[in-house]
Amino acid sequence: MWRIWLIFDPRRALVALFIFLFVLALLIHFILLSTNKFNWLDGPRTTSVAAGTAAPGVKGP
Amino acid sequence: MSDPNDRMGPGTYLTPEEAKEFHKLFMISFLIFTTVAIIAHVLVWNWRPWL
Repeated sequence: MWRIWLIFDPRRALVALFIFLFVLALLIHFILLSTNKFNWLDGPRTTSVAAGTAAPGVKGP
Repeated sequence: MSDPNDRMGPGTYLTPEEAKEFHKLFMISFLIFTTVAIIAHVLVWNWRPWL
């Protein structure tokens, strides 16, 4: 298995691996943040949307 | 073993000894990274299962 480093240049392989993993992690985190269920910062968005849609209908008598 | 003629493929600069040394470090780092990722996934699964 170690012979892979005789085929691939370790420096380029490491740089490529780090960039790939960083971009993948960034992508997954942003996808999760965009969902309702897995947004760990703001929580579900449905309540605020419902409040936003209900807000125009709220008129005092 | 450090004879340049033993080196296989173009564009590589490692001797087999260096490749083994690098591979050991690489596998240790890979296993640590994988362990942390598995722990993170277990925590997220306990928080909110996704299946």
